[in-house]
Amino acid sequence: MADTLPHVAGAPVGVGTPVTRKEDDRLLRGDGRFTDDVRPADALHMAVGRCPFPHARIAHLDTSAAERLDGVRHILVGADVVAATSVISPLRPTPGTPDLPYYALAPEVCVYEGHAFVSVAATSRHIAEDAIDLVEVEWEPLPHVTDTLAALAPEATVLHPAQLDSNLLSTNPMGPGADAELAAADVIVEDVFRVNRVTGLPMEPRAVVAEWRPGARRLTVHCATQVPHLVRMQLAETLHLDEGEVRVIASDVGGGYGLKLGAYPEDVLACLHSMRLVRPVKWAEDRQEHFRATTHARESVHRFRIAATQTGRILAITDTYAADLGGQYSSFGPAQLSSYTYPGPYRVTAGHVERQVVVTNKTPIGAYRGYGQPEVNFARERLMDRLAREVGIDPLEVRLMNLLTPEELPFTNLSGAIYDSGDYPRCLRMAADAVDYSGHRVRGTVRPDGRRTGIGFSSFIERTGYPSAKFLADRRSRYGTHESLTLRANRTGGIDLFTGVSTMGQGSETTIAQVCAQVHGVDFARITVHAGDTGASPLNTGGFSSRTMIAAAGAVRIAASELRAKTLRIAAYRLAVDPEDLTIDGQVVRLRDDPACAISLAEVHEAAIFGRGIPDEEDPGLEATAHYEPPAAAFAFGSAAAVVTVDPETGDFDVDRFVFVHDSGTVVNPLIVEGQVRGALAQGFGAALGEELRYDRDTGQLVSGSMLDYFAPTAADLPEWELLHTEVASPVTPFGVRGVGETGTIPPAAAIANAICDALSDMNLDITSLPITPESVWRAIAAASAGEGMS
Amino acid sequence: MIETVPILVTVNGTRHVLDVEPRMHAADLLRGMLGLTGTHVGCEQGVCGMCTILLDGTAVKGCLLLAPQLDGCEVETVEGLATGEELAPLQRAFKEAHALQCGFCTPGFLMAATALERSGRRLTREEIREELSGVLCRCTGYEGIVRAVERRLTGG
Ligand code: FES
Ligand code: FES
Repeated sequence: MADTLPHVAGAPVGVGTPVTRKEDDRLLRGDGRFTDDVRPADALHMAVGRCPFPHARIAHLDTSAAERLDGVRHILVGADVVAATSVISPLRPTPGTPDLPYYALAPEVCVYEGHAFVSVAATSRHIAEDAIDLVEVEWEPLPHVTDTLAALAPEATVLHPAQLDSNLLSTNPMGPGADAELAAADVIVEDVFRVNRVTGLPMEPRAVVAEWRPGARRLTVHCATQVPHLVRMQLAETLHLDEGEVRVIASDVGGGYGLKLGAYPEDVLACLHSMRLVRPVKWAEDRQEHFRATTHARESVHRFRIAATQTGRILAITDTYAADLGGQYSSFGPAQLSSYTYPGPYRVTAGHVERQVVVTNKTPIGAYRGYGQPEVNFARERLMDRLAREVGIDPLEVRLMNLLTPEELPFTNLSGAIYDSGDYPRCLRMAADAVDYSGHRVRGTVRPDGRRTGIGFSSFIERTGYPSAKFLADRRSRYGTHESLTLRANRTGGIDLFTGVSTMGQGSETTIAQVCAQVHGVDFARITVHAGDTGASPLNTGGFSSRTMIAAAGAVRIAASELRAKTLRIAAYRLAVDPEDLTIDGQVVRLRDDPACAISLAEVHEAAIFGRGIPDEEDPGLEATAHYEPPAAAFAFGSAAAVVTVDPETGDFDVDRFVFVHDSGTVVNPLIVEGQVRGALAQGFGAALGEELRYDRDTGQLVSGSMLDYFAPTAADLPEWELLHTEVASPVTPFGVRGVGETGTIPPAAAIANAICDALSDMNLDITSLPITPESVWRAIAAASAGEGMS
Repeated sequence: MIETVPILVTVNGTRHVLDVEPRMHAADLLRGMLGLTGTHVGCEQGVCGMCTILLDGTAVKGCLLLAPQLDGCEVETVEGLATGEELAPLQRAFKEAHALQCGFCTPGFLMAATALERSGRRLTREEIREELSGVLCRCTGYEGIVRAVERRLTGG
């Protein structure tokens, strides 16, 4: 359903305009309204007590000293929470997974360092924190297991013995199989790839302000979340309230990246304290607890395999992977897209994938930008280079030979995902040309200074949006795929736009308004966006899965067309002309052929709102609400090329160039698309080159859990990226847009690893785990030379 | 009763006489006592730079300063940059270069860059990247920020 755009004469801002953002002015002035900026005068402050061990039983808990502290108003322990609430239900449980229920506080056993077991509401944050220190706990440490594979060993302590008889929560095999192809293959390359545990690390920690008014039966919750309507659903369920009694507001969100998806235990606790005390209760996460209490991501071990012919043609791809869950579920749980995108952009018709979800004594895993796609990309693209080496064909050629061509699309991959359209080989060739790959092959890898130069590629696809609401329903996901919004004309001639999509940096206030301006004709500047308030927006899904623009563009198109049509009818009546002859031009409705014959939007809006001077058959009011479910997911795609120099003695390396070629379909706002790509690349680089949440194997303690110990790239740590793009409109989405928020996280690790291995190709070294650091490269060099010595 | 310390501090040109708790840090004072919530808090460890303010013209991390240390000082925060409706040139440069996404880090970068701008130094891209490395951003990949500051420092 490719669409022709309704051409609206004179509208200066529309789809494709690089307009500066509506969000910017308030944020530049320090006038954003983040959750911690909400400061009710009589608010109480909450602090949370957390388990210092990876696994421990609460043998004895005494809060009496804490209760006696001046200023302490209320203390909750696990038993209180069990009595007053239901478990927090995940939004996106892993298919095939038994329920692993969890409450906002651990009643008896804590299963990770940072697991909350007590909370205090007091007159100040300092007092609440002091009270936590006064809580007396006798811990009975239990045997722990933090390594993902070790948790599967028969001798490992079973962490949830009431529900499970091992730490394997679920297995989920999919795919047609590959026995014949594996038997027939000339070449099989395979290895075990370890993907590091990282976190999105939004600069704004989580926060919540809850206020219960018992007389009104209203619970108002300001919450730093990407999904206000879904949090409302979860809170109502957990707290046994009517959904109508709960209002969730996320004004400005300081970065989400998947981490702020769904209700967290602290959200429930702040509500419980407020409902008991009838006072606003506020909690602002500190960074130490953020590293332990907000979801981690990515950690997985992939046993990946590619089978091919001697000529380099892929016959089958398989992946069996262990995905770490952490100690318990979170709203999204382990990433699910590895199982959908493991074959990547290649022509693969045989294979299978199996996801094994494993419980360990670590912080729960949740969604993070990429959601399983960077993980499989790393494994697959490393093996593409290994395959090239085995068959003696250049890695670029092996990729080009196997990439799906435009003529082969749409293509249904091994997991049923439908790649809609695009020119995958062109993107790869663009990347190769940009780094002068053929020149590199002639020049070789050795440089005069003894360092080596290498080039590595990484081709990718990214699923943006969801296939359908049914797809999600089949997987027991507790949300749909639609977006919805309301447009309401106001008496000053502008339009109020209400959306449940909260503002977290993605620029959706701007891009949704751009589509509105284009379809309706009103000035972009006269659209006022109200975002992220469940009390002032139709029920929607929310901002994640690179889906917002795909779905919201459809909803805004429907609503804006409807509003425009009624506006034209009323204007035509007042001007005594035919609506067909009219158009909306910024702030007026005018005759197409005679701009002098016009009426202001303000006058039309007021007539409609007062119901005066409108045609008899028209209802008063000028407002439209639309819901739109996209018919399919759109696949973004592209290729990256990294140029590195490596010191073959020390393993020290630099990424000198990084070319990223991508296609995100029709671009609504080039400024914002570039920003999304760069932001995702920064997170892709961070995860590839240094970010790691490491747990000490013996003590089970998180050893990189502070801002000082966790490598988050600064401006000085990142190279200059070169961005190129193609723009193939997707045939399955409104305006041909594809999502763009996550692609940059996908290819960096493999491209850089491949470049290092290319630079040191004579050593035949291999990189199979992340992050890639000078030390890990040095170890790989040492391992390769040891292997050499043995053979 | 918690003991407090009296201080006199000028913030964005306005003098305030305040009684502060000795263990409160400067960012909390600005946010909690003066309602200037543009100065953000991201780690309270001196690493992230969200709390960057100008203290007598020098960029400092507000979470590392105790409120009593502000006594007798001039503080500038993000709220003081614009003149009425008019954004400061640096703020405009940030907007035009798409130097912000979620905007949580923006006040920190604006204050760090304001100090750079006032120093009158001409800096290369690499030097700008170095100079700004005391403030973290997880959204933008920094390019827009570097471009905006580069434009200002080269008189663009
Ligand atoms: S809050 Fe001050 S540096 Fe992070
Ligand atoms: S814009 Fe979000 S952290 Fe910088």
